[in-house]
Amino acid sequence: MTAAIQTLAGTGIGLRQPHYREVFERLPALAFLEVHSENFFLDGGASMHALERARAAYPISLHGVGLSLGSADRLADAHLAKLKRLVDRVEPALVSEHLCWGGVGGVHFNDLLPLPHTGETLALLADRIDRVQATLKRRILVENLSAYVEFRDSDMTETAFLAALARRTGCGLLLDINNLYVNAVNFGFDPVARLAELDGAAIGQIHLAGHTVVDDCLIDTHGSLVCDPVWSLYEEACRRFGPRPTLIEWDTDLPALDVLLSEAAQASAVARRLRDQEPAHG
Amino acid sequence: MAELLAMQTDFAAALRDSGRMSTIERWLAGDTGHVDRRVAIYRANMVAAADKALSSAYPVIRQVVGPEFFHGLAREYQRGTPSTSGDLTEFGARFDAFLATFQHTQSLPYLPDLARLEWAVHRAYGAADAPDWDAATLAAVEPDRQAAIRFHWSPGLAVVESGYPIVRIWTIHQPGYAGEFSVAWDLADTALVARDGFAVSVSECSAGEAAFLDESLIGTSFGDAATAATCSHPDFDLGALLARALSARLICGFTL
Repeated sequence: MTAAIQTLAGTGIGLRQPHYREVFERLPALAFLEVHSENFFLDGGASMHALERARAAYPISLHGVGLSLGSADRLADAHLAKLKRLVDRVEPALVSEHLCWGGVGGVHFNDLLPLPHTGETLALLADRIDRVQATLKRRILVENLSAYVEFRDSDMTETAFLAALARRTGCGLLLDINNLYVNAVNFGFDPVARLAELDGAAIGQIHLAGHTVVDDCLIDTHGSLVCDPVWSLYEEACRRFGPRPTLIEWDTDLPALDVLLSEAAQASAVARRLRDQEPAHG
Repeated sequence: MAELLAMQTDFAAALRDSGRMSTIERWLAGDTGHVDRRVAIYRANMVAAADKALSSAYPVIRQVVGPEFFHGLAREYQRGTPSTSGDLTEFGARFDAFLATFQHTQSLPYLPDLARLEWAVHRAYGAADAPDWDAATLAAVEPDRQAAIRFHWSPGLAVVESGYPIVRIWTIHQPGYAGEFSVAWDLADTALVARDGFAVSVSECSAGEAAFLDESLIGTSFGDAATAATCSHPDFDLGALLARALSARLICGFTL
């Protein structure tokens, strides 16, 4: 796990099918493109061809949503084999997964389900990440989750859990600022204090996205603009950790490409402004 | 891992059956009402994931029944045939069997066949790219050895037989279709699904062509497949099928 974690710098967007043609025609100035790994577990065809075109023009980040690192009964070897095949084919700049489970007992929910933050979970996740990193022969990033429930027996915060996981396995962290904010609202904690629990050196990427406000809580839908409190928290993270490769993530109600590019430009402007304020940083 | 496995087993049960919420409450912070509302978010996500995956594979059926009814179909299909993988590519593989027995789709008896056609199209889109092949190599085979040829059909090629006009139904529901919408319901179509480049085509084929392809696709030699198709369908036109297969690049190689 010796590969440098900081292989990218700048801002990228999630590449989604309705934008393929326009991205390939315009080749907008972006540091990288990110796709969901599982959408490319295919032998060939138009989708794989699009990914190869994207790969020829940009570094690629493979973001997994289905490996289910935290399933207590087993790690899905077949899924990991498909991911390995894709990683070998694409040679991505980044590979990331979520701190979650998705299924148990042979049934999968195809969702990012939360885990209790306990020593038992930490031991399991550390073992799984060791296996994944050994199989892929590279470091992966693990992302904090949006959650709607909390476990009674959690005995550490998610950020402390992730920091411990990074120390034990050498994995990097994908800090999703929107997820941190969503949880701060849903569970009533100070997100800035949680940033202080992280070791900035482990953070290999940042995600920014929009969420949906419902009566009871915030839901992580990736279907709207990044909100002001998330921009503020992003700025705080950049100030604390220095700039990190940053992704604008948008999955539902996909808008025009220019909306994503405008969000990406705003993220780049935050990093630039901080750099200009602190020329001696880092 | 005992605690974590017990929690996930209870969580899974509560997601799949709202009547089993009490099993999960002991693990989660907050009162019953709070936990119920929050777990309902995950339950909705679960159905949305099924709907999205099936909508991607079955866009024509979604149009035929409408998005709201389709959402209900996705929920019921998932209930009986839950996803077993974090990769949803194969999730819809048994949708045809579900539609054949589901009480509220019995008034649309062609749906299972239409589902098999859409599944073949879905599989064809992600099939391996056909290797480059020079059809002239076929002409170089000596006549007395031609019967032994085993064709390599382009990945994704499939034959879907039906007692309903499924090719017609599929065609009039394609984006950009500009023709008229009448359907002759007494016709029965056999569909040929094929990849050409990155595009996927659906066309009709005759019963004789289907008989030949069914044999050839499982590795039967050219001569034996042709004999079988001709015996069962005396009108089978082998020359026409070969011309079509070569012009549409359905064949991408052969072995002797």
